[in-house]
Amino acid sequence: MTDTAVAKQPVPTARQLVWRRRRQAVARNWLLYRHNRQGIVGLGVMVFFIVLALVSPLLVSPADIEPATAQGIPNSPPYSGYPLGTDNFGRSVLDLVIVGSRISLLVGITATLVAVFLGATIGVISGYYGGTRLDTGLNAVTNWFLVIPWLVLAIVLSAILGASVWIIIVVIGVTSWAQPARLIRAQALSVRERPYVERARVLGCSDRTIVARHILPNVAPVIFANAILTVAVAILTETTLSILGLGDATAISWGVVIEQAFSAGAMTNGYWWWLVPPGVAIVCVTLAFTMCGYALDEVLNPKLRR
Amino acid sequence: MRWRYLGRKVGWALVTLVFVLVFNFFLFRIMPGDPAGLLARSQRLTEAEVAEQRALFGLDESLLNQFGTYLKQTLSGNLGTSYLTGQPVVDTITSRLWPTILLVGVGTIIAIVLGLMMGIRGAWTRGSRFDKSSLYGSLTLYSTPEGWLGMMLLIIFAGTLGWFPVGGYDSGTGDTGIAHVVDVLNHLVLPAATLALGYGASYMIVMRSSLIEVKDEDFVATARAKGLTETMIRRKHAVPNAFLPSFTLIVLSFGFVIGGAIVIETIFSYPGIGQLTYQAIDAYDYPVLQGVFLVSSLAVVVANLFADITYGFLDPRISEV
Amino acid sequence: MQRNARRLIAASAAVLIATLGLPLATTSAEESSAPSVLRVGVPNDLTSANPMSLRSGSDWNVATIQYDMMWMFGNDDLSAQPGLAESCDPNEDKTEWTCTFRDDVLWSDGEPFTSQDVAFTFQLIIDQGISTYSGYFTPTTTFETPDDTTLIWKSETPTNAPLVPPWIYIIPEHVWGQYADGEKVELKGVENIPSVTTGPFTLTEVNRGQNWTLEKNPNYWGDEPNFDEIRFQLYTNQDAMAQALKNGEIDVATYFETSLLPSLESDPDITVQRNVSDWWLNLAFNFGGQGPNSDPLPALQDKTVRTAIAMAIDKQGIVDKAYNGAATPGTSLIREVPAQWHYDVPEEDLIPFDPDAANAMLDDAGYKRGDGGVRVDPATGDPLVIRMPISQETGGALTAGQLIVGYLDEIGVEVKIFPVNEGKMYSYWNQGDWDAYIWYWTGEPDPDYQLSTLDSKQCGNLSDGCWSNPQYDALFAQQEKIVDPEERQPVVYDALALSYEEVPSIALAYPNNVEAYRNDLVTNFTPVPGDNGYLIPNYNNIGMVTVQPASGADSAANSSSTGMPAWAWGAIGAAIVLGVVLVARRGRRADDDEG
Repeated sequence: MTDTAVAKQPVPTARQLVWRRRRQAVARNWLLYRHNRQGIVGLGVMVFFIVLALVSPLLVSPADIEPATAQGIPNSPPYSGYPLGTDNFGRSVLDLVIVGSRISLLVGITATLVAVFLGATIGVISGYYGGTRLDTGLNAVTNWFLVIPWLVLAIVLSAILGASVWIIIVVIGVTSWAQPARLIRAQALSVRERPYVERARVLGCSDRTIVARHILPNVAPVIFANAILTVAVAILTETTLSILGLGDATAISWGVVIEQAFSAGAMTNGYWWWLVPPGVAIVCVTLAFTMCGYALDEVLNPKLRR
Repeated sequence: MRWRYLGRKVGWALVTLVFVLVFNFFLFRIMPGDPAGLLARSQRLTEAEVAEQRALFGLDESLLNQFGTYLKQTLSGNLGTSYLTGQPVVDTITSRLWPTILLVGVGTIIAIVLGLMMGIRGAWTRGSRFDKSSLYGSLTLYSTPEGWLGMMLLIIFAGTLGWFPVGGYDSGTGDTGIAHVVDVLNHLVLPAATLALGYGASYMIVMRSSLIEVKDEDFVATARAKGLTETMIRRKHAVPNAFLPSFTLIVLSFGFVIGGAIVIETIFSYPGIGQLTYQAIDAYDYPVLQGVFLVSSLAVVVANLFADITYGFLDPRISEV
Repeated sequence: MQRNARRLIAASAAVLIATLGLPLATTSAEESSAPSVLRVGVPNDLTSANPMSLRSGSDWNVATIQYDMMWMFGNDDLSAQPGLAESCDPNEDKTEWTCTFRDDVLWSDGEPFTSQDVAFTFQLIIDQGISTYSGYFTPTTTFETPDDTTLIWKSETPTNAPLVPPWIYIIPEHVWGQYADGEKVELKGVENIPSVTTGPFTLTEVNRGQNWTLEKNPNYWGDEPNFDEIRFQLYTNQDAMAQALKNGEIDVATYFETSLLPSLESDPDITVQRNVSDWWLNLAFNFGGQGPNSDPLPALQDKTVRTAIAMAIDKQGIVDKAYNGAATPGTSLIREVPAQWHYDVPEEDLIPFDPDAANAMLDDAGYKRGDGGVRVDPATGDPLVIRMPISQETGGALTAGQLIVGYLDEIGVEVKIFPVNEGKMYSYWNQGDWDAYIWYWTGEPDPDYQLSTLDSKQCGNLSDGCWSNPQYDALFAQQEKIVDPEERQPVVYDALALSYEEVPSIALAYPNNVEAYRNDLVTNFTPVPGDNGYLIPNYNNIGMVTVQPASGADSAANSSSTGMPAWAWGAIGAAIVLGVVLVARRGRRADDDEG
């Protein structure tokens, strides 16, 4: 939607008309969204954490989170300069939470991209060719992935493949594409039956053009709303894997901080300042993504509106 | 008609299981590294000893031969031998089944009852204070990592307050009768509460939104026009219709519950399948992992089949398709 | 309807509140005739009760409590002391040893113990190739038992093995004989519970993932134990174990994470015992020559580089941060226990922690700093980047690795760490595609095994990185031939001094094992070896015989468990039944209304 040509040309082309219509639709939905309080709060928190993740290198210097060079008193409750106390290396827990936002969000968002890309590809193809053998086959695979205990699969896979951020991203992506695929397939199936798609087909458009021009733009909102919800699940999954010690111990994510606190006896020694903040951060971010996702759902699904 | 529906569902379940069997085999052969090397945990083995270990577990045969052996054994109920203990995997798993059934069973029942009740009430009184507080409470719980929730409950109720035991299935004091039952229940409270809070929240959200969708449908309006009381409408028309989609989602989430049990059991030292999985991961005991994956897939497939059949018999629209 | 719904919610809320909020009360009353039980907390499961396939720490503990070796490790210095065996005498060239055994020992099932049992155990190990134990036997070892108390141990090549002593638990032929001809995999799975043993206790019950119980052996040949039973309770979560100890749910616990020390030490009822662990943390360099993908960093062949690395590593920092102070900085291959084999590196030979000197050394040797401050090898032009796999399961290894990244950054050496599991460590080692790694070493009290790990003949076998030094090999071979400890000691020390100075590997730390017990409940453990030894048997089982309930320990307090009392659960049950009845009645009434 980075179109600037409209103003220059007095007579809009068909293409520009389409874009204008889409922009209007987005604006209309935004208006609806704006009135959804939980959506706005969610969006605010979400943006806050994304910005935090982006600027975290400016806030925390690498030397402060390097175990060998951290300066704080180890395992100390909050004191001046260390508002959330320190861990066993004397690193500021606040620094860890700030830096942790990077990996947690990176994993959450990238894994979602993997999942949504897989899900959208399979869902759109399956839906567009609905009723054919290809659809039956793809649908069977999708349903199968829906049915298997995928968290167990993710745990087993990351145990086998080893701990690295990228492996965890792929594992989460590969184990969570089925839900988006199913949703998108259903949407694609219904879009396919619409008159203008029929018309395009009669006019001799290729399958690729139809999918790109007509199906994808129409399922995009569903994909988007679903993706936002998937980020929340992906962040939770990363945390679970990390708590089980399957995370990448060299990349500080919130889950890894929890795991380190836990295995450093934070519970028994009463180091609440080390264990509580990363968990609260996860709850905030996940909640923000979830609220945004539900708000979008309400905007896009008139039935849920009041 | 119904029989055809039933047949199709059973057929699909069988196909799924075949998928699981094949997948399960290859999943554990694609891993990098040498499984025999993993056996060298307590002592570093020489090349010759590793070769011997490979032969022992049949790892030196061709992939096809291994697959044949695997199929034959699995179908005859032999899941192999644990690398770690040398015990049959089937015995290892069955000895850990009961605590997990108890934990997941009790946790899920509480989650379903509380989640559905609050979801119904919330949807019916949409926008009320109850609705808002329960919805936001549920969303927050849903957004909380189970493992961390468990740690918090442990820290508060077992550590600081000392109300409940810190972990385990029982105190191991050899008590019998009522004393033992009470002991087991006390150990169950925190892990089951962790599980119930997390899943109860998501069931509440699901039930609420599907009831809200149903609430505005024509048949509800018709019922209202017929002069039925609100209770009648809710109990006889809205809830049964909204219940079905929630039911499917609840069963679908079962796969997630089993995964969650791994974390909860690990944190609470609860001696079930989840803890076994954790131990097997720790020791790279592939036969046990393979067995656990097979058994949990089986459980989920059976639960889904059960849900599909129930769905089919409860909702006439489905079985006539 | 509103009222009814509210009632239902209230009922369920009552259940919830009752579940979460009811105050504690102690359950269970203990009758006075109950057997006395020593309750032990451990963090790792009993993986095998079979003395022929021991793996986890718990496996070794349980086997040590039950079984006897032919000799017994001495309480103070782990030297061979009379146990089942009373004497062993060699012939002139040490190819034939005649050993005499006690004649008054019975197995726990009442069968007499004889020297045939010893011969059977040893032969089983040789026949089945049980690698944990088979190192004691030369390929030509044979056994003869002229009578019930005599064993003749023959080997065509000279051997000292009978006096090492062999760390092998003797099993009864009349129970295990049936597996002698079976498959190894089958033997591995044998459990034989209740076990038949000669030690003070026998294993009678195993619930994997929960607990396992040993009962007093009525036929034990030594002093009678003070406890009737020992029950091990598994805690996969260390915090839970510490909490259980504080609550008095267990009497003693072992293998604590050092991170729990502050909390344990602050409790006056708890006595903390720090043992010198039977393992230590090691950083090994790869010298190449092993594995298909062997391509170690050439600069590591340079002793200057290795010494500079050793100088840049703050071992005290690792002790403090990776082990919370519960360790000692490492020096040479053999830790402080047993003391007679630990080489105390003289002050003037110690490689100091001195990053500045290390930098100067590398500058002088021509390793100039290049891009990003990383030094460049003048010979190859490659930067000094070390690929360092780290065994994640080894306690403190990952933290030490993270610290070392920072330490070596100071001297312009870049370290890339790869935290992996044991299996992948093995595969790295096997493939050879690493420059240095952090792993642990563990061995037996006799120094031969540990020294052999740097012998060049062990390349591809026990050697970490295939270091090869003819002088060291000669010293190793020399010490192997000497039986007399006094004569052997200087040679062993020479080998240790050489291996310290040449830096083929760096002993980072000798960690402590942390055990703790309730001093108000139990007393009179016998730590082995010496005062800093293990309470829960690791070397011999004397401690489990001497331990006894503390005077004044209340047997009722002994079985306290937290939770809600039975009546509270009864009330909850009643509330649930009531709730269900209410819902059902309401449903019927609603049906009536509509109909």
